[in-house]
Amino acid sequence: MRARWLAVALALAVASTQANAFDLGKMLEERINKELDKKDKSKQTQPAQPAPAQQPAASQNAAANPPLAKQKIDPRQLGFALFGDYSLEDENRIGRQIAGNLLGAVPLVRDDALQRYVNLVGNWVALQSGRTDVTWRFGVLDTEDINAFAAPGGYVFVTKGLYRLLGNEAELAGVLGHEIAHVAQKHHLKVLKQSTLIGALGQAASNKAQGSDQIVQNLIGNGAEIMARGLDKDAEFEADRIGMVFAARAGYDPWGLPTVLQDMAGLPAKDNRTSLLYKTHPHPADRLAALGEAVGGRMDAVRGKDLPDRFYRIK
Amino acid sequence: MKRFRISSVALAACLAASAAWAAPGTVLRNDKLYAQPNATAAVAGSVAKGANVEVLSKQGGWLRVTAGKTTGWIRLLSVRVGAGGLGGAGIGDVVGAATTKSDPSRVVAVAGLRGLNDEELKAAKFSPEEMARLDAQGVSGAQARGFASQGGLAAVSVPALPKPESQSSSSWENN
Repeated sequence: MRARWLAVALALAVASTQANAFDLGKMLEERINKELDKKDKSKQTQPAQPAPAQQPAASQNAAANPPLAKQKIDPRQLGFALFGDYSLEDENRIGRQIAGNLLGAVPLVRDDALQRYVNLVGNWVALQSGRTDVTWRFGVLDTEDINAFAAPGGYVFVTKGLYRLLGNEAELAGVLGHEIAHVAQKHHLKVLKQSTLIGALGQAASNKAQGSDQIVQNLIGNGAEIMARGLDKDAEFEADRIGMVFAARAGYDPWGLPTVLQDMAGLPAKDNRTSLLYKTHPHPADRLAALGEAVGGRMDAVRGKDLPDRFYRIK
Repeated sequence: MKRFRISSVALAACLAASAAWAAPGTVLRNDKLYAQPNATAAVAGSVAKGANVEVLSKQGGWLRVTAGKTTGWIRLLSVRVGAGGLGGAGIGDVVGAATTKSDPSRVVAVAGLRGLNDEELKAAKFSPEEMARLDAQGVSGAQARGFASQGGLAAVSVPALPKPESQSSSSWENN
């Protein structure tokens, strides 16, 4: 539906050579508002409509955040409609908002040496990912919860609780590799791509590098809840495969990530520290099985380092 | 046996007293047991998905296990270490809870802890201060390369892992 009306808008714009950027933007704005209205109404009468059902949370959010309509539409956003992808600038804005919200819920561990160490390992692994267009940032979150998070634009977090399970640098590299894979594969952006609010993002120059970005917030829902929703389990299995390879390409023992998964599988099932992890990820035993099927004997010839002596231990 | 972690020290200790070091495990897929930790070694036996094994030690991507009367090496990813069986969320891990007691520091740490939850994340407000801290700890690619070479790490060519055929029909591929 979105593709159709944007195509109409584009056709009109092309037909009228006098149309300048402002006119096009205004026209798009009106069309978007009309579409959002229509969608809301059709949702009321036809609850079984498949498109909104894919992302009910985002649709509700669209209805709940009317200030959207007051924003100017940037015609550059047409790029999204035509090519189906976020610009790097959009990705960075989305990631920054998610990361800043997550840090609002859980601060960083106050240990500069630890944070520095994780950034060095993380950046080295990320260099193997092929994504050199983002600025990679890594952080250890001050919670005993066992989890790790990634946000678009190169933001990667591991909790202190998960870090405590690690025994060497190769295991850290494996965990970070999994999160780096989510960013490299743009898994979260693919979820957001299904949102009705896509067209709104290019609006208004992003002069909010330091603070909260309301337009992006409308897109991602409340606070950092996108981190609690999780991804498709296939995305997690894929990130395990890719993350293991990134760590191996960085020269680490490839068995770091599988060893961490083994450690997590061995934790008591009712441990509070893993409740969010298990809500958003397949069980580690299922991840081991899926990864094992993909790996088989393919890593038999790979030799790497695990560097237990250099591994930074949390006090 | 609080955790499945084998440093070279622990491994040496295990080998010295191998009978004392054993963790339960469950076979995740049909696989072979080899006489040595490599796939070119003689096959010592085979195990079926769901079989129980005793895990004796770990070496790279291999575990030394006893299944019935056979002892041999099996691929690390073919076994789930721990007492949870074939796994999946919701399966009680009774022995896991019991084994936790062998690590007093962990029991103390877990007691009274509350994990992250949806409500906390939903209510989260953007923190410019923490973001500034995060940015301040960032490093450059050049710094990361220097750090890698200090540790003797060099980039190596490793082919991507194909998606197993049994895990077909992903919406992610077509997105």
